[in-house]
Amino acid sequence: MSESPKKPTLAAGRRELKELVDTCDAIAERKFNPFFLDVKLGVETLRQFFPLWETFQDHCMDAHTLNRLSEVVRLQNTQLKFQSSALYADPEFIVRKLERMSEKRLVEVLLQSWHPLAELEQLTEETVTNALNYWDTLLPIAERWKKKQSNEGKPPSPINNEMLTGLGVHGEEFNTQINRLHEELRIACESSKVTDYWTFVRRPTYQETVHRAYLISFLITYGFAKLKTDDGKLSLIPVDEPTGKATANSISFPIPVPRSS
Amino acid sequence: MESKETTQTQPQTQTFYSDKLKRAMHLLLFRRGKMPGAKEWEFKEKIGKNYEQVLEQLNQLLSELDLEIKKVKEHTPAYATQNEVPTDESRYYITLKGTLGLKEAKMIGWRIDNLAALAAVVAFLLSKQGKAPREDLEKLLANKFGRWKSITLVDIFLRTGYLEEDDAGVISLGWRTQSEIDLKTLMTRMAEVKL
Repeated sequence: MSESPKKPTLAAGRRELKELVDTCDAIAERKFNPFFLDVKLGVETLRQFFPLWETFQDHCMDAHTLNRLSEVVRLQNTQLKFQSSALYADPEFIVRKLERMSEKRLVEVLLQSWHPLAELEQLTEETVTNALNYWDTLLPIAERWKKKQSNEGKPPSPINNEMLTGLGVHGEEFNTQINRLHEELRIACESSKVTDYWTFVRRPTYQETVHRAYLISFLITYGFAKLKTDDGKLSLIPVDEPTGKATANSISFPIPVPRSS
Repeated sequence: MESKETTQTQPQTQTFYSDKLKRAMHLLLFRRGKMPGAKEWEFKEKIGKNYEQVLEQLNQLLSELDLEIKKVKEHTPAYATQNEVPTDESRYYITLKGTLGLKEAKMIGWRIDNLAALAAVVAFLLSKQGKAPREDLEKLLANKFGRWKSITLVDIFLRTGYLEEDDAGVISLGWRTQSEIDLKTLMTRMAEVKL
């Protein structure tokens, strides 16, 4: 029993035309050989779906596809003419040759066919304008030296409490955030004594998530909470009576925060 | 009386003609815009209708110095077929008639590896009918010169006019390749190379 051919549908027609246009565009962008596409089959596809078109957009798409197919025919024609010209060389053959040729040999080939331009360099209106624009935006030499010095960076130096407060890593506000998070952790662990790290850290935005992960790292370092790992699963356990001091024998445990949920 | 007239007009014609030659030479040598050389309309405007004869005579003078005047059609690719209609605008340049040696090429500021890359890029593009995606070019160069260098090389060739890039990232041969490189000779030499 032979299988009956599928009845063409409007949705299938739109999809086919889109694929056809994409292929034609790829050929025009030199991603494929122009003979990769069977133009006759493309035209038959257009003919097959033409009676199904309903909207103005469908007819526009039909005309656009026909236009792209004609572009492919033009490229096929150009390729045939090119292949019969003296410049024709098989791309694969050229690539293999280029890969195996030494730099010196390549230069020798170029020099045999290279006739460089002879011209005199002098000021033009455009070069003067460019020079003036550059001069106008150029800082005085003293400023530029200053900039260079600052780029080199200062050597490490001690930092005091005031500076830490200014940077937002110390001080009342920071402590408030830490205490608030500690309280939140305690509430989250009231029933089970332990909570999943990612459930506690993750927030709708990436920025918030990173900020919480950053604060939690302080909670752990200063003994407000403990981090437990179990087969790759991370859990947080709050400490009821924190020391508030960094643990002497603590280890560094990096936790990457992925952007995707 | 007649002889007097003749002696008066002869030097006048020579001066007038040499003046045109000078003007043509200035137009060709001194850059006025982004590109060197001069356009057809500039010659028509500054020299007159007989500019082609003037250029021919100038070409004869230059050939003794191993230079020649080259006419390049703008926006008409070198690999264009006969059916493609060329644009009216032509640009004239002075180029070297002969060729340079390896040492001379170094002397005029070219690095040997950059020239090797230029040869590879032009040959590759020609084999692809003058156009190829930028990634393909970078991949080709990366095999020989390394990934980072390949990006820089493509940028150099784009900046110097040997290549052109359109909005879709498709690279084609630039005006300078068409002016300076004898594409048929390049492909013939490339085919002749024995590995």
